[in-house]
Amino acid sequence: MAGERIAKHEQGGAAAPDGTGGRPPAVRIEGLWKRFGEQTAVHGIDLTLPAGHFIGLVGPNGAGKTTTLSMVTGLLRPDSGVVEIGGHDVWRDPVGVKSRIGVLPEGLRLFERLSGRELLGYTGRLRGLPGDEVDKRADQLLDVLDLSGSQHKLVVDYSTGMRKKIGLAAALLHNPEVLFLDEPFEGVDPVSVQTIRGVLERYTSSGATVIFSSHVMELVESLCDWVAVMAAGRIRAQGPLAEVRGAAPSLQKAFLELVGAGARGAGQNLDWLGGGAR
Amino acid sequence: MSTEPTTAAAPSPVAVFVRLKLTLMRNGLRRSPGRAAAFVISLLAGLLVAALALIGLVALRGVPHAGALAVLLTGILTLGWAVMPLFFPSGDETLDPTRLVMLPLRPRPLTGALLVTALVGVGPIVTLALATGSVIAVADGTAAAVVAVPAVALVVLVCVVLARAVAAASVRLLTSRRGRDLAVLGGLLVALGGQGVSIAAQRLGRPDGLSVLEPLAKVLRWVPPASAIGAVDDAGHGAYGRAALGLGLAVLALVLLLWWWRRTLTVLMTAPDSSTLQAVEKGSGRRAGGAERGLARLLPGGRTGTVMLRSLRYAWRDPKAKMSWAMALGLGLLIPVVSSLQGNGTIYTAFSASALLGMQMYNQFGQDTSAFWMVASTIATPRDAYAELRARALALVLVAFPYVTLVVVGAAAFIGPWSRFLEVYGLSLGLLGALLATGAMGSALFPYSIPSEGRQSVAPGQAAIAWISLFGGFLVAAVLTSPLVAVVVWLHVAGLTGLLWVLVPAGALYGLGIAALGLRVAAPRVARRLPEILVAVSKG
Repeated sequence: MAGERIAKHEQGGAAAPDGTGGRPPAVRIEGLWKRFGEQTAVHGIDLTLPAGHFIGLVGPNGAGKTTTLSMVTGLLRPDSGVVEIGGHDVWRDPVGVKSRIGVLPEGLRLFERLSGRELLGYTGRLRGLPGDEVDKRADQLLDVLDLSGSQHKLVVDYSTGMRKKIGLAAALLHNPEVLFLDEPFEGVDPVSVQTIRGVLERYTSSGATVIFSSHVMELVESLCDWVAVMAAGRIRAQGPLAEVRGAAPSLQKAFLELVGAGARGAGQNLDWLGGGAR
Repeated sequence: MSTEPTTAAAPSPVAVFVRLKLTLMRNGLRRSPGRAAAFVISLLAGLLVAALALIGLVALRGVPHAGALAVLLTGILTLGWAVMPLFFPSGDETLDPTRLVMLPLRPRPLTGALLVTALVGVGPIVTLALATGSVIAVADGTAAAVVAVPAVALVVLVCVVLARAVAAASVRLLTSRRGRDLAVLGGLLVALGGQGVSIAAQRLGRPDGLSVLEPLAKVLRWVPPASAIGAVDDAGHGAYGRAALGLGLAVLALVLLLWWWRRTLTVLMTAPDSSTLQAVEKGSGRRAGGAERGLARLLPGGRTGTVMLRSLRYAWRDPKAKMSWAMALGLGLLIPVVSSLQGNGTIYTAFSASALLGMQMYNQFGQDTSAFWMVASTIATPRDAYAELRARALALVLVAFPYVTLVVVGAAAFIGPWSRFLEVYGLSLGLLGALLATGAMGSALFPYSIPSEGRQSVAPGQAAIAWISLFGGFLVAAVLTSPLVAVVVWLHVAGLTGLLWVLVPAGALYGLGIAALGLRVAAPRVARRLPEILVAVSKG
């Protein structure tokens, strides 16, 4: 197995020398476990993600990314372990946590029988924002995300990309400190990807934190300045992008090495494939 | 085949289509022995029904109301053919015109081929048997026998063409999201239709019940294709003018239906298909209408109004929620009506209104499906959970309170006696409150998933939870209402019936109190169990 390549400085917790100015880490996870019957989805992970960064949680399918994010955002109860967001315990201090985070989960529905605009109005008011403010922000978000034309269509009739965008708008509406996005670019067309990127970059440049999961390494490499690599329910590496990448030419290569897939040459046994002979 | 020169005569489309249908049927049967068995059984059952109906109708010959019965039977048969394609949109692949879009076919031969194909099957055979039986039942004399032959052909043709035309006209609708929504509501029609049939059967079962049919048959005998059966009857009585008119009407209907069918087919095969249309269509545009905006303004602000508005929107827009609301509203009214029509009505049947509407409070979060995460991520305290539950209860009461009032008043007016009105009304309000309370508890402790597709209302494996929640909750609600019942009994026994008016304010207050208490007890449990509830409701 590839050795753990944990960056040295982020283990110090609060006193991070990377420009977070003494802010508590955006997310601190300690000994987080989750089992589903026989299968262990999350294998006692420890993870500290600094505030103010664009953070990628990468890993192959079934690595436990969604399970981890669900537990971190309070949507799934862990078997054991501690999760803190901005210094507040997710399970003991939900009041301190829920208003500070925005979530776009994967594989869960939205209230699809509302129109895009109604969905934002509903979410914002549920978050306790005044009605006029919700409407103003919804207008702007719909406009920026290029959804104004379909704002009165029911979400059930939206395409995948439109659903991701309206979900993102709902997650951003209350201006959270930390935004969790599970596979926000999965099944999204390139134009929408660019739109979502633009919004997220603007958001992090103001000091907010984005944590998103993905298995598209090129995307993570171009967006993130901090990554955590997950495989088989464990954290294989975490730290600034450059450190995790190390000497490898790309994050993709470093990742394959970390999850132990680098050596497996593709298709040695398929020597009959291609070429002239049938 | 494809290498044949194009000068060779193309095979007749009729033969091709019939062969295609037979091949598809055979291949469908080959797929699994279960399917083959089901097909053979349905075939035998269909033929058996046809044979029995034929024998039954022949036996009716000479019975006083046979003519009316035959006409009515044809009417029901036609209705069945008209609605069948709406319930089984994918019933017959050969007849699905959207599959033929890419083929160079002209409308006229295509219509002919599809018509012949549609005539192959159990349905047309059963129809043929019923039509034949009907004319045998009414035909009297040579003239009638002569008219009977075209009459039978017309009945079968009109029925089959009607079904095809309806199917072609609705194929766009049935393959769209809106169409699938409507299909979910189809179960409701079946349930309510069943009630109608049971009432009708009761009526007909009475002595001389068949005479009820006469006025209906008088109208129906001029509606094609039943007019053809009427024509046979008329021909037997020497009314040749009326007979000609009846047959003529059936022919006219057939021609019009054929024209409509061909026109829809042409449009279907030449216009862009639904995937293109969806982009162009206005789609599900929902600019909040005047009424909706007015309602939004009337509702309180904050979480309460927001959640109420969403609940009410879902009651109207979500097919599952709509069906459950329509069931509750429909049955709540039907139970008193049916029991009074059957002659054993009492004002106490009006309890069905508050019982069925109160049950709507159960499994509140299951109705959200996995979108419940949006609710869960905004509930941080028991207070939030209380506001959420209370808003859902209020949305329910907004409909339930006037409805229960209406049904109880209606029951007192039409079934009576008015002297029992006060106690029934008071108890209804108490029961509604108790069901809101136990419904909130059930939602917190026994959530389960409602699959969004299909007609089931419980996800596989969760039926036991659903039963515990509904049945247990109902028992507890009954126990909770018992103090009010005790008061009623005591007032009657003690002869203080003049004081029964107390029940109305007492029931209202008791219902309000117990509901508030139930919500208070349920709220912290909801707040504590958010992840567990989310897992339970996400299985659909």
